[in-house]
Amino acid sequence: MTKPNTGELDPQDSAGSEIKSYTIGFTASLFLTVGAFAAAMSDLPLRWKIACICAAAILQIVVHMRNFLHLSFSGGQSREDLLLVLFSATLLVIMAGGTWYIMSDLSGRMHDTDAAMHEVQPR
Amino acid sequence: MSETNLYPGLNLGDGHGEAHDQAETTVFGFWVFLMSDLIIFGILFASYASYLDPIGMAGGPGPQDLFDFKSVAIQTAFLLVGGAAYGDVSLAVKYDQGRGKVAAWLLLCAALGAGFLFFEVKDFITQAGKGGTPQVSGWLSSYWTLVGLHGVHVLSGILWIFAMIAQIATRGLDGVVKVRLSMLGVFWHFLDLIWVGIFSLVFLVPLA
Repeated sequence: MTKPNTGELDPQDSAGSEIKSYTIGFTASLFLTVGAFAAAMSDLPLRWKIACICAAAILQIVVHMRNFLHLSFSGGQSREDLLLVLFSATLLVIMAGGTWYIMSDLSGRMHDTDAAMHEVQPR
Repeated sequence: MSETNLYPGLNLGDGHGEAHDQAETTVFGFWVFLMSDLIIFGILFASYASYLDPIGMAGGPGPQDLFDFKSVAIQTAFLLVGGAAYGDVSLAVKYDQGRGKVAAWLLLCAALGAGFLFFEVKDFITQAGKGGTPQVSGWLSSYWTLVGLHGVHVLSGILWIFAMIAQIATRGLDGVVKVRLSMLGVFWHFLDLIWVGIFSLVFLVPLA
């Protein structure tokens, strides 16, 4: 279906909101990046530092998808785009998450055996 | 935005007629490619995370010996500003601000991408000099593959930008060029997104 090219773009109308969206995205990314670096350099306990870095990364990825890639999760997006993103995310969770889980479990069973050995040996 | 987005990235809008409709299928196809690219990166992230322990480092140099906090921050800044600069490319195309402006913003993107690559390659050379070559340990292999693959993507993005500038110069901003610029935009922002994962997981978590 082709639409007539009217040449009327009403630039001021929506350019304002789009520039605003990019500006919000950039500012939020900047804060989240600085936050992640600050957390890494801070004196917080390791567990908290890693939690902060991961939270900032996930938030920033959402910001990038919303404000830079213009993927909307509230219906303003063509269905296939959204399905593809969700499908890819599911595959990632299964494959990447599964790899990481299996490898760390294996590592725990094969290498960190000092404690386990002491439990077993007396018998 | 009230109107429905037909494809990822800033949509050209009805005012661009056929280019806007053409972009729906073309950019969607490109998005399919990027999502499969995402799977590759995801698997590389998973292997990096799996190797990130003393056994994976196999007695070779570790993150504390090789990574340079300041250089990572500089690279991140280059890419983040580069991503925002492409927003201006998309807006200049959408609102017909002329080919000069589009080309100027594209050049800025390429320059920022090149700045990023300069520091990344400098880091790679320093790390190799300190004995951190890919064959030393599983952790280093996964590090070079993951970060190197992202670097190759940025390099191809820069080459693509120059190809687009050449097309703008010869063809002008016609429908085909607009669709291709939309694809390049999605690609460029996607690289930014991957870098968020890299600087967080690859650099900051081990250095924390």
